[in-house]
Amino acid sequence: MTPVTSPMVGKILNMQVKVGDKVNEDDTIIVMEAMKMEIPIVAPASGTIKEIKVAVGDMVESESIVALME
Amino acid sequence: MPKTISEITKKLQALKDKTRRGEEKAIAKQHAEGKLTARERIEKLLDAGTFVEEFMLAETPATDFGMAERKRPTDGVIMGYGKIDGRTVYVFAQDFTVIAGTVGAAHAEKIAYCIETARKVGVPVIGLYDSAGARIQEGLDVTRAIGKVFYQNSITSGAVPQISAIMGPCIGVAAYSPALTDFIVMVKGTSQLFITGPSVIKEVTGEEVSMEDLGGAKVHSEVSGVADLVASNDEDSLRQIRKLLAYIPSNASQHPLRTATTDDPARIIDSMDDLVPEDSRKPYDVRNVIRRIVDNDDFFELKAKWARNLVTGFGRMDGRSVGFVANQPMFLAGSLDVDCSDKAARFIRFCDAFNIPIITLVDVPGYLPGTKQERSGIIRHGAKMLYAYAEASVPKITLYLRKGYGGAKQAMCTREMGADQLFVWPGVELAVMGAAGAVGVLYKKEIEQAANPDEVRRQKLDEFSEKFSGPFEAVAKQYAHGAILPAETRVRLIQALEMLQTKQEDRPRKKHGLIPV
Repeated sequence: MTPVTSPMVGKILNMQVKVGDKVNEDDTIIVMEAMKMEIPIVAPASGTIKEIKVAVGDMVESESIVALME
Repeated sequence: MPKTISEITKKLQALKDKTRRGEEKAIAKQHAEGKLTARERIEKLLDAGTFVEEFMLAETPATDFGMAERKRPTDGVIMGYGKIDGRTVYVFAQDFTVIAGTVGAAHAEKIAYCIETARKVGVPVIGLYDSAGARIQEGLDVTRAIGKVFYQNSITSGAVPQISAIMGPCIGVAAYSPALTDFIVMVKGTSQLFITGPSVIKEVTGEEVSMEDLGGAKVHSEVSGVADLVASNDEDSLRQIRKLLAYIPSNASQHPLRTATTDDPARIIDSMDDLVPEDSRKPYDVRNVIRRIVDNDDFFELKAKWARNLVTGFGRMDGRSVGFVANQPMFLAGSLDVDCSDKAARFIRFCDAFNIPIITLVDVPGYLPGTKQERSGIIRHGAKMLYAYAEASVPKITLYLRKGYGGAKQAMCTREMGADQLFVWPGVELAVMGAAGAVGVLYKKEIEQAANPDEVRRQKLDEFSEKFSGPFEAVAKQYAHGAILPAETRVRLIQALEMLQTKQEDRPRKKHGLIPV
């Protein structure tokens, strides 16, 4: 399992994928909001989304795991 | 024993030929590891047939611990001068096929001489590192000799450009030689750079780590920030050095060479709309903006995968070499933090040392907030960036692409911090802080006490945005020289660079400033 982590502290804005979706490296998985900007959280590698660990509106820390992929 | 001159000449020639040929087995091993030999590297780095080797037949005077039998001509480093694109450079290349490229006293003396001579002559010096480390058989002789290399690297800094390529191991204290130079290129998979190796780490801390995870190209280009460029193989690293060198003059008293360009200096940029979204909440890749401005879309990025919230690199404007510093909204919202301040300060100082004008592209939401940043010394590191811009006397041009919030504006070179020309695009938003935060502070009571707080907030937000959106305050208060259109950006920047090419600015005399390192 490859963890997908948030690049910085912020709020989850919307989901671009659902569990089971296939993604390519650098595809946007989740969009978060920080420093008044929309920050894409991207797939660190190509694979399949196995689990999403956050919901829209959640606050996340920097480096926290927001999804798992394989 | 040869007696006549002709016999001596024959012996000398045979020795030189043998040295140039090298040892077949060692060369085969080097090739099997995917590496070129030191001689092949020099040949590919320099213009064909220009290399003049010096101290080829130098050998270690050491005889202890089997060195009498192991010693070889060159002492494991090939050194001399030659040309790159017709310009003289000095070069040394550690030769792993000779005594594993280990650093002995003679070897280090050759490197120290190479750097010192490059400085005297006023030409760049390029070091190609590939060595098993210090030659322990030579004891304090080698310690003393390595000290001479560090000393030469240090006092040469800023006088002539120093470029290092790590093309094999460069380990232990020897790693500080490239660290003292201006740029480090690392070859993916075959180069390692670290101070204490895996076995010592295991012994002292119990931690197990591979050479690659400890000091490979990936670690140094993405985590530590030690490497400036990553190459896919030896040829690629040599090609990158040649390209990098083209942006840089031979020494600090020269200007970079202006090259002929096929790109029209008056080229109107069709559209930036697709690159910079109007909505300031939307991120974009600022490198695409730079590519559209510079000659022939050619932007040479440095430290591309480290501190990615700020972009540094070289490009050309009407053939003139320019250093670019830009906020990168794609990463950390383009905010300033410890690492990117470090990256920017070092790059700005390099440009200043070698008379390369700096163009700064601004779209900055502020400093990255958080205890981690404060505790890592953002005050100390952020100060470097302010200092570096103010210290730099080269032409400095600042352009606001979108927003400039808070004190971070100063770190991106305002006129007050020394920008010679400052422009804004029409969509600029300049404020002490973002609209939502500012309204929350300024109208806190009014909003709380209102019958319809949401409506009052929205109204105040509109008022605030109206006042600070657009270039009007900036041009009225002489914050900016003018508002320019994205379409005319290239031509306006080129005009400003041309006007500024004779700029001179003196600084108070002193021994040296005290940049908060």
